[in-house]
Amino acid sequence: MLVFIIRRLAYAVLTVVAVSFIAFFIIELAPGSALTEEFARLRAQGAEVSGAQIEAMEKQYGINDPWIVKYWKWVSGLAHGNMGQSFLYHEPVSQLIGSRLALSVALSFGAIIVAWAIAIPVGVFSATHRYTIPDYIITVIQFVGVAIPEFLLALGVMVAAVKWFGLQVGGLFDTQYLNAPWSMARFGDMVSHLWMPLAVIAVGSTAWLTRVMRANLFDVLGQQYVQTARAKGVPERRVIWKHAVRNALHPLVMTFGTTLGALISGEAIVSIVFALPTTGQALVQTLISKDTYVAATLLTLLSVLLVVGNLISDIALAWIDPRVKVTD
Amino acid sequence: MSQLAELETTDLMPDDDRAALAPEQSGIGEVSQTRLMIRRFRKSKLAVISGIILIIMYLGAVFAPFLSPNDPAQVDANYKFSKPSHLTLNGGPGICQVKQVIDPVTISSHYVTDCNNAIPLRFFGRGFEYKLFGLIPTDRHLVTVDKGKLLLFGADSQGRDIASRMVYGSRVSMTIGVLGVIIATILGSVIGTVSGYVRGPTDTVIQRVIEIIMSIPQLPLWATMAAVMPPNMSVTGRYFLMTIILSLVTWTGLARQVRGKVMSYANADYVNAAKSAGSSGSRIVLTHLVPNAASHIVAVSMLAVPTAILAETALSFLGIGMLDPAISWGVLLQDASKIDVLQQYPWVLIPALAVILCVTCFQLLGDGVRDAVDPYS
Amino acid sequence: MTDGPTDTIVSVKDLEVEFPTSLGVVRALNGVNFDIPRGKVIGIVGESGCGKSVTARAIMQIIERPGRITGGSIEFHRKGSEAAADELLSEPEDKDAATRSGGVDIAKLDPNSRGMRAIRGAEIAMIFQEPMTSLNPVYTVGSQIEEAILLHQTDDKQQAKAQAVDMLRQVGMPNPERIATSYPHELSGGMRQRAMIAMALSCHPALLIADEPTTALDVTTEAQILSLMRDLKSEIGMSIMFITHSMGVVAQLCDEVIVMYLGRVVERASVDEIFYNPKHPYTRSLLRSIPRIGAQRQEKLEVIKGSIPDPYTRLPGCTFHPRCPDYMDGVCNTIIPAETLLAGPTLHTVRCHLYSDNNEGEPDPLATEGASAGGQATDQADKQPAAASALKA
Repeated sequence: MLVFIIRRLAYAVLTVVAVSFIAFFIIELAPGSALTEEFARLRAQGAEVSGAQIEAMEKQYGINDPWIVKYWKWVSGLAHGNMGQSFLYHEPVSQLIGSRLALSVALSFGAIIVAWAIAIPVGVFSATHRYTIPDYIITVIQFVGVAIPEFLLALGVMVAAVKWFGLQVGGLFDTQYLNAPWSMARFGDMVSHLWMPLAVIAVGSTAWLTRVMRANLFDVLGQQYVQTARAKGVPERRVIWKHAVRNALHPLVMTFGTTLGALISGEAIVSIVFALPTTGQALVQTLISKDTYVAATLLTLLSVLLVVGNLISDIALAWIDPRVKVTD
Repeated sequence: MSQLAELETTDLMPDDDRAALAPEQSGIGEVSQTRLMIRRFRKSKLAVISGIILIIMYLGAVFAPFLSPNDPAQVDANYKFSKPSHLTLNGGPGICQVKQVIDPVTISSHYVTDCNNAIPLRFFGRGFEYKLFGLIPTDRHLVTVDKGKLLLFGADSQGRDIASRMVYGSRVSMTIGVLGVIIATILGSVIGTVSGYVRGPTDTVIQRVIEIIMSIPQLPLWATMAAVMPPNMSVTGRYFLMTIILSLVTWTGLARQVRGKVMSYANADYVNAAKSAGSSGSRIVLTHLVPNAASHIVAVSMLAVPTAILAETALSFLGIGMLDPAISWGVLLQDASKIDVLQQYPWVLIPALAVILCVTCFQLLGDGVRDAVDPYS
Repeated sequence: MTDGPTDTIVSVKDLEVEFPTSLGVVRALNGVNFDIPRGKVIGIVGESGCGKSVTARAIMQIIERPGRITGGSIEFHRKGSEAAADELLSEPEDKDAATRSGGVDIAKLDPNSRGMRAIRGAEIAMIFQEPMTSLNPVYTVGSQIEEAILLHQTDDKQQAKAQAVDMLRQVGMPNPERIATSYPHELSGGMRQRAMIAMALSCHPALLIADEPTTALDVTTEAQILSLMRDLKSEIGMSIMFITHSMGVVAQLCDEVIVMYLGRVVERASVDEIFYNPKHPYTRSLLRSIPRIGAQRQEKLEVIKGSIPDPYTRLPGCTFHPRCPDYMDGVCNTIIPAETLLAGPTLHTVRCHLYSDNNEGEPDPLATEGASAGGQATDQADKQPAAASALKA
C-alpha cells in the first residue's frame, strides 16, 4: 500500500509539471506580453513611458529570453514560493494566492461533501423506489439541476435573495466586517456569505451524482450477490446498505476526479458572480487584464487541486475495493 | 434469470411489432440494427420532443432576420434598459405606447405606459433590410410596429432589442458548441482508434497526454485559452478559434470512450477471424471497428454538446469568449453580470431561458440516443 | 405415494406468479403443484424460461420486482411440532400464514417479514447459477459465511468465525483459514461455488435449493460439486431441490424429477420412471435430444421442433401443443389437461390428454372455439386411446 501511494504521488508530481508546461505554453501563445498591457495602462493614466524604460523593464522581466529560460524562471520561482508581482493587484502573487487558495479549497471540497451527502441517500431512495411518484419528482429535479448552468443559477439566486429575502449577497464580508479583526461575529458573517455560493456550486454535481448513484445502485441490485444476501435472510435494509450501496459507491469514487473538476470550474464562475475572492475568480480577472504569468500560476494551482483530488480518489478506491491491484 | 433476459429483448419492441410475431417465430433477427435503434429512440418521447424543439430552434436561427422585429445591432440611447413592450388586445393586437416623462423636481426620467392608444402589430410588415439566406434581399418581418419599437423582452444597456438579439444569438451559440464537438469527435475518434488498436507505447503516450489534459479543470483551461486570443480579431476569426478551443479540451473524453470500445471490439471473435483471414490492419479498422463504434461515438458526442454550448455561453458571459460586436447568448448575458442592473432590469436575464431550453433539449436528446444505441450500458 | 403431510417438507399448490411489464402481464407460473419429501433430492428440469428459477425464487420469496405471487400456496413444514411453526410466526401480521396442517404458508408471508427471514437461510437455503457473481466482491468469503451464522445461530462473533472455517473445511476447501480471509475474486469458479455451498449449509437448512449450480462450471468441477452435494446431503440429512436443464445431472443426483414447461408441471415421477418410462411427449422429446455415446453415426440427433413462444402470448389448451408430436386437434388446443395419476409402484403424474381417461380438465376460455370446445372434446375422446396405443407400439 505504501509503495502504491508513493508511486501515485510521484505520478501526480509529474502530472503537475506537465500541466505547468501546458499552462506556460498557452500563456506564451498570447501576442504581446504582460508588460505591453502594463505600459498601455500607464499611458492611459497619462504617464510617459520612454523607450529606454521599456527596454529596461523588458530586460528585468526577461521578456525577450527564449521561452524555456522564461519557463525556468517562472517555475523555479513557483517552486520557491516566489511567484513574482501581480500587475493587476500590485501585490506579491504568493500573498494574493494564500487566502484565495484556502477559500477555493473550502468551496470546492465543501461542495463535494454537500453533493455526496445529498446524492447518496437520495440516489438510494430513488433506486429503491423506482417508478414511484417521489422517484419521478427526484428525476425531474435532477434533470433541471444538471441543465441550469451554475452562473445562471448564481444570478437567479442572487436576484431572488436580494429581491425577496432582502439578504446582502456578494463578497465575503459585510462592509462593517471588511477590515475588522477576526471574531466569532466576523466568522459568522463569512459563513452567511458563503453558504449560498456553496449551494449553487453543489447543485449541478449533486444532481449528476444522484443520477449516477441511482443508476449504479439499480445495476447492483440486479446482481446475484444481492439475491444471495436476501436468500441468507439478511433484512432488506441491510441488504441495501451493506451489500448493494457499498458496491455502488465504487463508480462514484472513480468519478471523484470528474466531479471535483466540475466543481472547480463551477467555483471559478460562481465566485465571479458572487464577487468572492477565490483562485478561480483571480484567474479570470488576471486573464482579462492580461496579467499572464499570474494567470499561468493560478491555472497550475487549480490543476494541483484537481490532481490532489484524483490522488485521494485513487487511494480511496484502492482502500475500499479489494479488487484494485495495489501493486499496480 | 434467463427468462428475464428474454423479457427484456421483447420489451424493446413496440406493441405493433410484437403483435406481428407468430408464436413460433421471432422477428428480431430480421430487423436491422439501425431500425432497432430508431425504434428504441422513438420510444423515448422526451428525446423526440427535444429533437423537435431543437429543429424549431435551428429553423429560428436560419430565419433570424425575418423573425426579428428590430435590427439586433441598432443602438438607441432612448431605449436604454427599456421595459418589455406591454402587449394589449385593446383594439386588435398591439403594444401600449410608452412615454418618457421627466420629473421637473428630481430631473430623473421615468416611463408611463398608455394602453388606450395602442400601436397595432403589423404582420409581415416592413422593417430593416436584410438578405434572406444571404441571397434574397427583402425587408419583410414576421411582426413589426409602425411607431416606436416592438421590444418583446425589453432592451439592453445600449437600447438594443433583446428578443431580436436572442434570435440572432442562437446562430452563434447553437452552432459553436456543435461545431466544436464535431471537430473534437473527429480528433477523438482518430486518436482513440489508434490508441485502442495499435496499443503498446503509442497507447501509453496518448493516454498520458489525455490524463494530463484532464487534470486541468475544464473551464479555467478554456478560459485561459480563450483569453490569449488577440482582442482585435474579427468576429468570424474569433468564432472559429473558439470552436477549436472547445474541441481541444473535449476530444480527450471522446478519445477515451472510443478507445474503450475499439479495445473491446478488437478482442471480438469476428476481428480475430478477419485477422486470420489475412485482412490488413487498416481494413479491420475501417470495416469492423469503425462501423461498430460509430453509433456509440455519435451517442457520446451528442452528450458532449451541452457542455460545449454552456462553455461558450459562460466564457462569453465572462468577457473572454465572443466579444460585443458578435451576438451570442453569453454576450447578451454580460449585461446581467452586475447585480444592481439585474435587480432593476430583470429582463436582461431572459436570454438565459434560451440557454436552458437548448441545453436541456440537447441533454435529453443525447440521453435518448445513448439509450437507443446501447440499451444495456 | 407420500406417507402423509409430515413427510413433506415443502408442498407447492396451484402456485401462480406474474410479472406485470409495460407490454402486458407475463404469467411465469400458471398453477404449479409438487411436493418435496424430506431427505430426498428433487430435480426440476425444463428449457430456459419454463419457470424453474421463478419457482425457486417464489419459495424463497425473493422474486425480482415487479414479479409477485398471485395465487396458490407454498406450505412449509418445519421439522418437529406445530410449536416450531408458531415460532416462525411470532409477528402478529404473519399469523394468517399458519396452515391447517401445522405448516407455514410462505406465499402468505411478507417477503421482508421476520418470519420469512427466519426461514430464508436457516430453514431453506439457496445457491445460484453464477458462482462468479453470487458472492459479494467487497467482503471476504469468511465474513459472508459468518453473516449467515450470526443472523440465525449465534451472537458470538468468535464462534461464528470458527464455524465458518469449519464449514469451509467440510466442503473440502484446502486451507480453510486462509480461504476465509480471501476475497471472492481470488478464488476460482469451483472454489466459489464450494464457498457458496458452505454458506448455504452453514445453518443446517432442511431444504437446499440449488439453481443450476454447475451450469457455469467445467465438467470436472461439476462432478466434484455434485459428489460433494451428495455427500453433504446424507451427512446433514436435508432435502435438495435441484434445478437443472441437464438430464445427465438429474440421473446422477436425483430421486424424483419434475418436468416443467411454460410455467406448469407437465410430469412428475421417480428418476427411474422418467428415464425408462417417460409419458409426456415433452419429456420424451427432452430425453431424445440428449446425445448418446454409442449411437449410430449417421443417426441425426433429435431436436424439439420450434422454440418457446414469447412470454406475452398465451396459448389456449395445452401450452405444448404447437410443438407436440402427438398433437390432437380440437383437444390439445382447447382444453387444459388435468394432472393424471398413473398406476404404478411409485408416484407418477402427467398432464397430457394422451393419458387422461375422459379428457378431464377445464375447457380453456382462451380457445378460439370456446363455446363448442366441450362438445368437440367428447368427440375426440374416442380417437384418443387409439392414438395412445399407437404410441406405445
